[in-house]
Amino acid sequence: MGPQPPATVMTDSLLEMRGISKSFVGNPALIDVDLAVRRGEVHSIVGQNGAGKSTLMNVLAGVLRPEAGEIRIDGRRIAIANTADALRLGIATVYQELSLLANLSVAENIFLGRTPLRGMLIDRRKMEADARAVLEQVGCGDVDPRLPVGALPLARRQFVEIAKALSHEPSVLVLDEPTAPLGREEADRLFRIVAALKARGVAIIFISHRFAEILQHGDRVTILRNGRVVETLDMNGVTEAMLTERMIGGSAESFYAAHHPPEIADATPAAELRNIGLAGRLRDVSLAVPAGRIVAFTGLLGAGQNELARILGGDVVPDQGEVTRAGKAVDHDPRAAIRAGLCLLTEDRKAEGLFLDLSVRENITLPSLGALLRHGIIDGAAERRAVARSIDQLSIVATPTAPMRTLSGGNQQKAILARWLLRDLAVLVLIEPTRGIDVGAKADIYRDLEALARLGKAIVVISSDVPEVLGIADEIVVFVAGVIHARFVRGQVTEEELNLAIQGKE
Amino acid sequence: MTGNANAMARILPRLRHHGARSLGTLAVAVLMFAGFSLTAERFGSLPNILNLAKQMSIVGVLGIGMTPVVLIGGIDLSVGSVVLLGGTVAGALLMDGAAAWLAIPAAILTGALVGAGNGWLIERLRVSPVIVTLATMIAVRGLGLVGLERFRSWIDVSNPTFDALGVGSIAGIPASAAILLVIALLGIAVLRLTIFGRQLYAVGDNEAAARLSGVAVTRVRIAAYVICGAMAGVGGILSMVRTAVVSPSIGVGLEFSAITVVVLGGARLSGGVGRIEETLVGTAILVMVLNFLTINGIPGTWQTTVTGALILLAVLLKRGLAYRSAR
Repeated sequence: MGPQPPATVMTDSLLEMRGISKSFVGNPALIDVDLAVRRGEVHSIVGQNGAGKSTLMNVLAGVLRPEAGEIRIDGRRIAIANTADALRLGIATVYQELSLLANLSVAENIFLGRTPLRGMLIDRRKMEADARAVLEQVGCGDVDPRLPVGALPLARRQFVEIAKALSHEPSVLVLDEPTAPLGREEADRLFRIVAALKARGVAIIFISHRFAEILQHGDRVTILRNGRVVETLDMNGVTEAMLTERMIGGSAESFYAAHHPPEIADATPAAELRNIGLAGRLRDVSLAVPAGRIVAFTGLLGAGQNELARILGGDVVPDQGEVTRAGKAVDHDPRAAIRAGLCLLTEDRKAEGLFLDLSVRENITLPSLGALLRHGIIDGAAERRAVARSIDQLSIVATPTAPMRTLSGGNQQKAILARWLLRDLAVLVLIEPTRGIDVGAKADIYRDLEALARLGKAIVVISSDVPEVLGIADEIVVFVAGVIHARFVRGQVTEEELNLAIQGKE
Repeated sequence: MTGNANAMARILPRLRHHGARSLGTLAVAVLMFAGFSLTAERFGSLPNILNLAKQMSIVGVLGIGMTPVVLIGGIDLSVGSVVLLGGTVAGALLMDGAAAWLAIPAAILTGALVGAGNGWLIERLRVSPVIVTLATMIAVRGLGLVGLERFRSWIDVSNPTFDALGVGSIAGIPASAAILLVIALLGIAVLRLTIFGRQLYAVGDNEAAARLSGVAVTRVRIAAYVICGAMAGVGGILSMVRTAVVSPSIGVGLEFSAITVVVLGGARLSGGVGRIEETLVGTAILVMVLNFLTINGIPGTWQTTVTGALILLAVLLKRGLAYRSAR
């Protein structure tokens, strides 16, 4: 906790925001926030989820109106009533959630709402030529502006999004998590574009969870915590630890000990879902599943979270998009998924999980028999040992030879869990894993999932039980109508907020 | 408390599940043997026991082949016709001067091909196994008849190897019974000790769960039909060994005997439950009943009716057991 920063000298600033306050239903989201951005600088904004970054940027973009404060450009006070005002005043924003329409062409997207006309008709030729020109600027001269955006890979869309922002010839460009969907090479290309804009005097506001990018490419950084500015720092000499400390208002170590690391974006992805589309169910969903974490997918019934889980497990074939593990595409088939270490446990134990008339032992070892062979036949002794270990580990109340149908629901669920734990899995996907299970077995299953996450496995839990989600998840992904609506990190969302998000509200 | 629960969990299921059913079938067979031996004096004699073993061979081998198909919840009505086609192929090769070591595998391969065709039609075209194998039962018998026509619909098998298999014995056991025994042991090993065996049970018990557990369901099912066809090919050879002829009527109705012995053994037609050991016991029961009727001078024409009645009896008996074990 440093002293309040001295009032910045703002004479050289292109954009000044002063004393901005904004609250939602009485909860302050921004309190007296000052931000000054210079011409030709990359100004980073950091803060935990809920610190106020997005709210501040929404005020700037004209999406939200502040209750107090003023905004000046070139020293002139301006009023931003809506997004069109912001664009006209030279403030363009590239949002984290891509805002392009998949069925329209690249050119139509870029010039949406301001298509060049010739008489009463759209001047396609001009529109496409202009689109080409801005695409050129972002190094996408090879993209055909007539193609529907849906035909482009996600990374390419991010650049189209930037081209769209640049077509407004902004003096202030806001980039909200622009590198999230990009690979390393593409991120480098993005930073080359940023450098070129910087050289032209554009002020760039850069929001990222990736500290390395901020430290490398930022000129200054403003840290937000709980809706207030903690400090604005020159990047010289700033370290990651300094940023973390100021973000969380305490030493980094105590925080990491108390919770799992908050930098979800930095965790190694155990598997990735890219541009997943499924007719009527999922629209262009991309998501990285981080190793060593419990991620919960939640949402209303039919919001797409179950389908995404089944696609991850190879059960459902998506209409578009791919599942990758360690950079390699995984076939949409349960066998291929299991071989790649992606294991699925569905909500319908009886119909899709259990072999009721086979023994507990046979139920547990079926997918792992390949590892229990000796001279091509099943090594009975090894199998018995493996099953005895599983039964012990998961405290299953049953004998290995008992038919599965004689077990209680909780023990059946544990046995299916044991089935996957026998394998060297990377990602365990569980749909409603505690539905219809007694309290004791529930607690056991939570404990097992946490232990697995600590071992570095990626755990994906699909649950519609809000307290369960809040209790076990390191990260929460909320689905609404087939898209990712919101994401939260452990401890940074209340039950009420999560419920609102599930309903599709902010 | 926990100790008690553990002990209960250990003991109860075994009694309820494995014990009752398996022992039940075996007990029925033993009681039947004892009863028949007491009422018909020749029944329990050594020559008749060896005769029973011989009679078991063809139906037993077909039943062993049928077991994996029933395990996956399928059915194969074409095996009787494959007995004719396999026999015709082997017989034709012998007639053309080929050696037994070529004729025998040719019959088995023929059966396997028919099985592969059945499996492919059922799995790829998604037609019900009853319809597919009913069609191939008719078509394959037709093919056999066409092949047999070349030899005026009758082949006399006079080959030293076949003759030796017909009259020879190993350690007192007739050769055909020994072949049944070897095949049964192999089958038991496959079902119990291989991944494929486990997968057969898994697919029959719960197809969706098997798929989600990484089992190549389609492949496993097709393999079951291939095995069934190949065993029917072996049945064709055993038929030639036993009667020394290939005639248009061989194999007629055998498909029903094969299904009967599997069901008598306690297998579940919807899949997932069944064992080759039990199929053998089922075969023994069927053969003993038919043999007992013959000894008592009841004409062979009645045997078909008895076979049908036995299926009903087995199903009712099993339901009674299931009812009791569910208590």
